[in-house]
Amino acid sequence: MISDTNIRDYLAQLEDIPGTRVFTAARARQGYHLNQFAMSLMKSENRERWKADERAYLEDWQLSEEQKAAVLARDYNTLLDLGGNIYFLSKIFSTDGLSFVQAVSTMTGVSVEEYQAMMNAGGRSPDGLRSKREGR
Amino acid sequence: MARITAGIASSHVPLLGVAHDQGKDRDDYFGPIFAGYDWTREWEKSEKPDVIILVYNDHASAFDMKVIPTFAIGCGDHYKPADEGWGPRQVPDVFGHADLAWHIAQSLILDEFDMTIINEMDVDHGLTVPLTMMFGAVDAWPCKVVPLAVNVVTYPPPSGNRCWSLGEAIARAVASFPEDLNVQVWGTGGMSHQLQGPRAGLINRQWDNLFLDGLIGESDHLRRIPHIEYLRETGSEGIEMVMWLIMRGALGKRTLALHRHYHVPCSNTAIGHLVLRPDNGQELDMTISGASVAALTE
Ligand SMILES: [Fe+2]
Repeated sequence: MISDTNIRDYLAQLEDIPGTRVFTAARARQGYHLNQFAMSLMKSENRERWKADERAYLEDWQLSEEQKAAVLARDYNTLLDLGGNIYFLSKIFSTDGLSFVQAVSTMTGVSVEEYQAMMNAGGRSPDGLRSKREGR
Repeated sequence: MARITAGIASSHVPLLGVAHDQGKDRDDYFGPIFAGYDWTREWEKSEKPDVIILVYNDHASAFDMKVIPTFAIGCGDHYKPADEGWGPRQVPDVFGHADLAWHIAQSLILDEFDMTIINEMDVDHGLTVPLTMMFGAVDAWPCKVVPLAVNVVTYPPPSGNRCWSLGEAIARAVASFPEDLNVQVWGTGGMSHQLQGPRAGLINRQWDNLFLDGLIGESDHLRRIPHIEYLRETGSEGIEMVMWLIMRGALGKRTLALHRHYHVPCSNTAIGHLVLRPDNGQELDMTISGASVAALTE
């Protein structure tokens, strides 16, 4: 039950997690066209057009210049900052032939091999990464 | 009368579908994951459920940002596997149970759960991977499926308490369906995982196992876990575990665990799997799995 939590506190808490952009309504609004563009790559005919000329394909979508540049650069952390959601962005990296591990590792600042080794060793510990404010 | 005889919890990582479809499910990496489902596959052959109410979330496959239903129930007769960007999975089509689904949808709305009704959609890995894990490679799925899709992507998703209450309402709806049906409820997604940002790769074995423990016996305390705890402790995508509470809520006050499995990693994710019986005096086979017996006597 969140009845004892007002929406301001609820939303503020969501911003308190280190290295994480929770897909809030604010991000969903900012990223609406970005996510819908990514969704369009679910169709194989769209994937073909996209692969043939990425820049031209993006002209059909109302993305900001920043969003377009981040898409072309496959800069996933910036795309998260600009309202992208990982399940939608996955259509872009799937079209590139990348797996979730390959694409996700690019957001963590380590190589895919190091990332995979971390996962095989049991993953990233939550210690120190639960709260920015409380530093735990 | 229809009755709920079991609940199953399982992760639904897309890579498990890929591994299965490419015949890699017994290799060094995937073998230990799939081995944890062997008992359940055998058990399902004797259980022979008529219908699975399969709680899952769509991952930008059937639903895009245009419409975001919090709780949606599939009332159609037939669903195809979705093309998630690399072509649809070559698994059997999914057949619904429209009579039961419409009965549940109507009952839930009268019970004050304002459901979205879906007549047509494709179903993604969130639904087809659990079917593969529980039934393996088959020419046709051995039962009907009522898809129940939950928004856990755009915030806020429903609270754990609301999910639990929906499960209770589903149980009431099933109990009032006149046809004699053996129904299971599955809760899918989780366990700990984060697929985004510098904190990606987060796994919390301890928290996951406390959550698994909590689903067995009386589980009331799980209803009060706030979203922020799932997020902090189990990663941004660990929030999917609220869907397990719909399954748990449908099983009533007490449960007994027949089988339990946990493994890290699968791709970015911790795999958790639990087979539960409602512990309510129904005359059901309460035999627990060999692995569970071994764990209990350790
Ligand atoms: Fe999921």
